[in-house]
Amino acid sequence: MAKAIRIKNNVEEGLFEFLKSLLEKEKIKGVFTLKKMDEEGAASYSLITSVDEFKNAVPLFPYMPVNAGKELSNFTLLGKTEEPIAAVLRPCELRAFVELAKRAQGDFENILTVSLSCGGVLDLNTMGEKNQEDLISKYWDSVKKAEVSPNTRETCQFCENFLPLNADITVATVGNKDLDKEFTLFFNTPNAEEFAKEASGSSVSAEIESNEINEFKKKREELKEKYFKETETDENGLKSLINIFAPCLGCHGCSHVCPICYCTLCEFDSKTHEYPTPSLSSDLQKKGGLKVPSGNLLFHLGRMTHMAVSCVSCGMCSDVCPVNIPVATVFSKVGASLQKEFDYFPGKDVEEPAPQGTYKEDEFTKIGEQ
Amino acid sequence: MNNNQKETKINPEKGKALSSSKGIREEILNIFKKALADDIFDAVMIPAKVPNTDAYSWILLQDESLFEMADPLPPVMAVQGGRALSSFSKNGELDLKIAALMRPCEIRAAVELFKLHQINLNHITLISIDCPGATPLTDYMNDPKKLAETYKKISEKWEVSESLRPACQNCHRFSLIDGTAADLHIGLLGKNDKVTLIPISSKGNEILEKLGYEPTDSLEEWKSNREKLLKEKIKNREKFIKEWQEKINKTDGFFNELNKCINCHNCMNACPICYCQQCYFDSQNITFKPETYLQKSKEKGALRFPLNTMLFHIGRMSHMVLSCVSCGACEDACPVSIPVGRLFSMVGDQTQKEFDYIPGMNREEPLPLQDFKEEEFCEVETPNECEEKVTEEAK
Repeated sequence: MAKAIRIKNNVEEGLFEFLKSLLEKEKIKGVFTLKKMDEEGAASYSLITSVDEFKNAVPLFPYMPVNAGKELSNFTLLGKTEEPIAAVLRPCELRAFVELAKRAQGDFENILTVSLSCGGVLDLNTMGEKNQEDLISKYWDSVKKAEVSPNTRETCQFCENFLPLNADITVATVGNKDLDKEFTLFFNTPNAEEFAKEASGSSVSAEIESNEINEFKKKREELKEKYFKETETDENGLKSLINIFAPCLGCHGCSHVCPICYCTLCEFDSKTHEYPTPSLSSDLQKKGGLKVPSGNLLFHLGRMTHMAVSCVSCGMCSDVCPVNIPVATVFSKVGASLQKEFDYFPGKDVEEPAPQGTYKEDEFTKIGEQ
Repeated sequence: MNNNQKETKINPEKGKALSSSKGIREEILNIFKKALADDIFDAVMIPAKVPNTDAYSWILLQDESLFEMADPLPPVMAVQGGRALSSFSKNGELDLKIAALMRPCEIRAAVELFKLHQINLNHITLISIDCPGATPLTDYMNDPKKLAETYKKISEKWEVSESLRPACQNCHRFSLIDGTAADLHIGLLGKNDKVTLIPISSKGNEILEKLGYEPTDSLEEWKSNREKLLKEKIKNREKFIKEWQEKINKTDGFFNELNKCINCHNCMNACPICYCQQCYFDSQNITFKPETYLQKSKEKGALRFPLNTMLFHIGRMSHMVLSCVSCGACEDACPVSIPVGRLFSMVGDQTQKEFDYIPGMNREEPLPLQDFKEEEFCEVETPNECEEKVTEEAK
């Protein structure tokens, strides 16, 4: 059972103070977390090393401007950090970092991971806008009541994996009515326990799972069924995908912000996928007309086969799409069925190999040799 | 100002005015249908609405029945036309005669891409059209029906409406301008139900002749309407440039506008000029060890992730802003509403003036950075000699 400490403080302030004290006492040399950048309220991830700069840190700010797993990968791409840091990540961001570390794109060593039971994040396009404060206050109300906030990302609304799997420290938020006054920190790993004494609260006997959490999960599962049903990818197959991706500009923003898409040069941005001009005559003769630029659907299908088995459903792709394609819902849906086939849960364990990287003789016998 | 005055003037005297009872869209499509049927072109690239959806795209068509989905004046600019044209014409010889109907900023982008060897224009006829602007892509996708309705009104009245993209509200190159690289222009600013074909190049004249149209109609009304609108737009643009110059008068101002950037590079991928296969800023040339990042963080107290977003924008700017056609595609594609199109357009305006360069005009005119003139920028290179020369000239 994880060590639990109850802190008598507002959850945002309390977590802030805890992390600040770790930095002040040099238990860690930096905190990777969200930080306010301007008066309007826009925030960005930041690796904060000075206590003075830490004053603008907002660890529980309910936005995901980038997937933190991707940024931690950028930080540790060339090796582990020698000095210990703490990193505050949402469960899906943590899963993304696990998938990246698995592919030698990042290193967990010397990183104290702090995550939370996650109520989701608000749509990115509301960050820094006039109604931001109002949205945030409503957001916290729904977190306390363990209700699904309608202003959160679609993927958040149907996310059932909102409890972190392997965080060193977990902040309990969902379903805790008194978050304004007190909250509980769970220290899950031996590594984390040595930091427990820095938390100014009292040791309690508690579990992160609760009735509220189970109810919350049920609500989200229902929404998942609803959203997956609305995104009719399997009923109509290719025809339906053509319609869903029709507005695609080919900006590839979805792949740029996807934590799993880590290739320096995407195959679909390479020369291989440029249209060969001499084919134009015969293609036009065959089809009568071509959508130009061509190959947008192929890009999505190709990307899907490359990464859907590791899709952590963070929703970044949908949030950056300039033409409102529900990319994340489609990828989540396909990802879920693919992951089931491989009996694979992305982000569970760095040591577990990615499905494409392993071969089991007995898998897919139904389509291979009997 | 000089550029603006130059651009007010316009050369062609005559065109062919066509009237249609079915509306201008239909009339424009008829011209292309006729040209395809008469083998003047082998294929036509034209904006189109994807069937069963609200989405717009480009279609390169040969089969006449596909004109059904074509829309010469779509409410949005989805993919920049220059980019679309380049996508199929840059890898090898084109053996088809293709007509491309594009907005003036798309024509200019195509010409810049031609100069950058990303389009082979040999077999391509560029046809521009008087452009009422376009609505913001995200606004349109949020409510396609409403925005299509709004756009219909705007394009009928040639209103400089706030429902248009900022790039379009401030655009003073929405119509034919002297020195354009288009072969043929479609004027819509004349009488309401009239479509006027205005030949520009010898290729344009030839096409008109083949179509059996003699350019004998006066352009006076079109010219006067064009000039009226141009004056309003120039005023808007001057106001916009001044306002943004004041806003961005130092690096801080620049940073404040860009600090929401999440490094998705949508702006670059939507930009017709940014044609690099792999952007330097997507490469691993600027990846360091964790110690380096920690060190950088300690110097300032904090280090922002994603890294180098500001460097990316400044780097991209220095690479392409001389060719920036102010099409606004970057701003349309930004998921966090950064006014990136306005920033680049404002800086482009200044930089292009320094080089006395308007991107996308004469195909033969070299790109400023590929061309060296001994006397240019002498005030920064050799200030003393420069002064002497100026005094001498004054004598």
